[in-house]
Amino acid sequence: MPPTQATTPRKRLGTVTAEVVEAGTPERRSSTANREERRTAYLMLAPMVVLLGIFVIWPLVYAFKQSMYQGNFYKAPVFVGLSFYKYVLTDPGFYQSLKVGGYYAVIVVPGGMLIALLLASFIKTLGARMASFMKTTVYLPTVVSAVIASVLFRLIYADQGLANWLLGLVNLGPKNFLGNASMVIPAVAVPGIWLGLGITTLIMLAGLLDIPESYLESAQLDGAGFLQRTWYITLPLLKNVLLYLFVTGLVAAFQEFLLPLLIANGGPVNASTTPNLYIFNQFRSATPYAMTFSITASLVLFIVLGTISALVFRLIRSEKAVDA
Amino acid sequence: MVRSRRSLAAKWVLLVLIALSMLMPLAWMALCGFKRDLDVLKTPFAVLPQVWEWHNYTAMLHDRQYMTAVGLTMLGAVIFTGLSIAVNALAAYAFARLEFPYKRVLWVLCIMPMFVPAMSILITSFVVVSKLHMLNTLAVLIIPGVASAAQMFFMRQFFLGMPTAVEDAARIDGCSRWRIFLKIFVPNSGAVFVVVGIISYMAYWNAYVWPILTISNPTLQQIMPVLANFLDDRGPQYGQLMAASTLAALPTIVLLLVFQRHIVAGVRLSGIK
Repeated sequence: MPPTQATTPRKRLGTVTAEVVEAGTPERRSSTANREERRTAYLMLAPMVVLLGIFVIWPLVYAFKQSMYQGNFYKAPVFVGLSFYKYVLTDPGFYQSLKVGGYYAVIVVPGGMLIALLLASFIKTLGARMASFMKTTVYLPTVVSAVIASVLFRLIYADQGLANWLLGLVNLGPKNFLGNASMVIPAVAVPGIWLGLGITTLIMLAGLLDIPESYLESAQLDGAGFLQRTWYITLPLLKNVLLYLFVTGLVAAFQEFLLPLLIANGGPVNASTTPNLYIFNQFRSATPYAMTFSITASLVLFIVLGTISALVFRLIRSEKAVDA
Repeated sequence: MVRSRRSLAAKWVLLVLIALSMLMPLAWMALCGFKRDLDVLKTPFAVLPQVWEWHNYTAMLHDRQYMTAVGLTMLGAVIFTGLSIAVNALAAYAFARLEFPYKRVLWVLCIMPMFVPAMSILITSFVVVSKLHMLNTLAVLIIPGVASAAQMFFMRQFFLGMPTAVEDAARIDGCSRWRIFLKIFVPNSGAVFVVVGIISYMAYWNAYVWPILTISNPTLQQIMPVLANFLDDRGPQYGQLMAASTLAALPTIVLLLVFQRHIVAGVRLSGIK
């Protein structure tokens, strides 16, 4: 399913570095062998290229084309240039959704990274068996679907649900998590963090394990405590991993829309309508040109988020090149 | 000695606390599956069911609509996973080992989808599949997601790291590229196939948005839409809802537990380092 694969913040397979294809060894072979190899290569690539062409490239090109035409099912489309882009960029609802998305991302990403860092630091100190138990435990929520998490957290946040019971234990009164505009985004962020924690923790753990133990030991001999070691040694050495997690996390969190849709239905009064949820709702609404509007808005997001992450990753790569 | 024993005890306490808080939502879900509808949300709050009610679970296991959705989604997920491993592994092998004209161009084309957010092609993908008359078929759920840039990239990284000695010997003996792929690469890629396979399975099993857009035929319902509409369709049957959700979460959890080592290693491989 292409539309679901990237919407969940949990799927961060693959690095975002467009790698240069190795030139390979330029052996001289007979031309028939070469032709044979070429044919094999194209045959092997054919299914992939055809499928991506039909289900990714075509929709993408079509989206860009569609965003510049005004039309519907009854009339021939009229070329309107960039007017829909202007329409999107002056729409207060769109800006409101950007704010909501930003608020959500600013809670989920730093919050999730902090918890993941603590968890990874803890797992690093454990023996092999405890560590493997811990890794599986932390990873477990990752395989649960956003739909199940939403169904579950709706009940957890109910008036007589688990969350209010826990608050009651520390003598905090019952709260209306989902009916309160100032509380709904933090409430939705909790399952967001919970679902994403596994991958973040494991990537961070891998980064931690790469730090030479001798650095930390000599700091410890000099009397540095855990916080000092973390601040002065671990975090600077983890910089690239942290930056990667931060940027991919922000981009993914900013696009989250299943949790707010299914937990709070974007409400109350749009307080949890994230950008993609806004786009999705526009698409489903019956207003004229809703489809073109939502296509254009999604392209605007794509261009902005894509540019930001490309810039940041160029930065990481150029620094790596300097290091090497 | 005393100190290390004390720190070990502290670690155990911390470990149990973390595990409890990570798993509490899921545990609560499974427990609520054993409660009567009225007992799920009530004051005073009780974590454990007062009466252990197996009925919710057995009812879901005998529920025609629910079990059809489970079966169909499982069938789709298995086909999806197999196709996706085949298509992506073939392309990954070609990019890792073969030389051919326009390799760079094709590489960029195949890797670019990784950067395209799902939302920006969601609507037009829907238009495309409806133009292809694919709506309300199992094919529309399976085919569009089979080719995956990220998975192809991941497998190519793995293939690039495989030693070339056996392969070179086979080449000298006149083995074709297809034979090398099938007899040398495929048998040695079990671990990586497990990782990408589970990711594919999960992506299909957990899908929600694409199925609700493309499937309106009730006999082709997928499991996640059924769960999301559960309360609207059936009224406030919280106990059954929690039982249904627990059962629907089980396949991916079981996969994780069975293949935990591969998955943990896979996450390490896929992240940047």
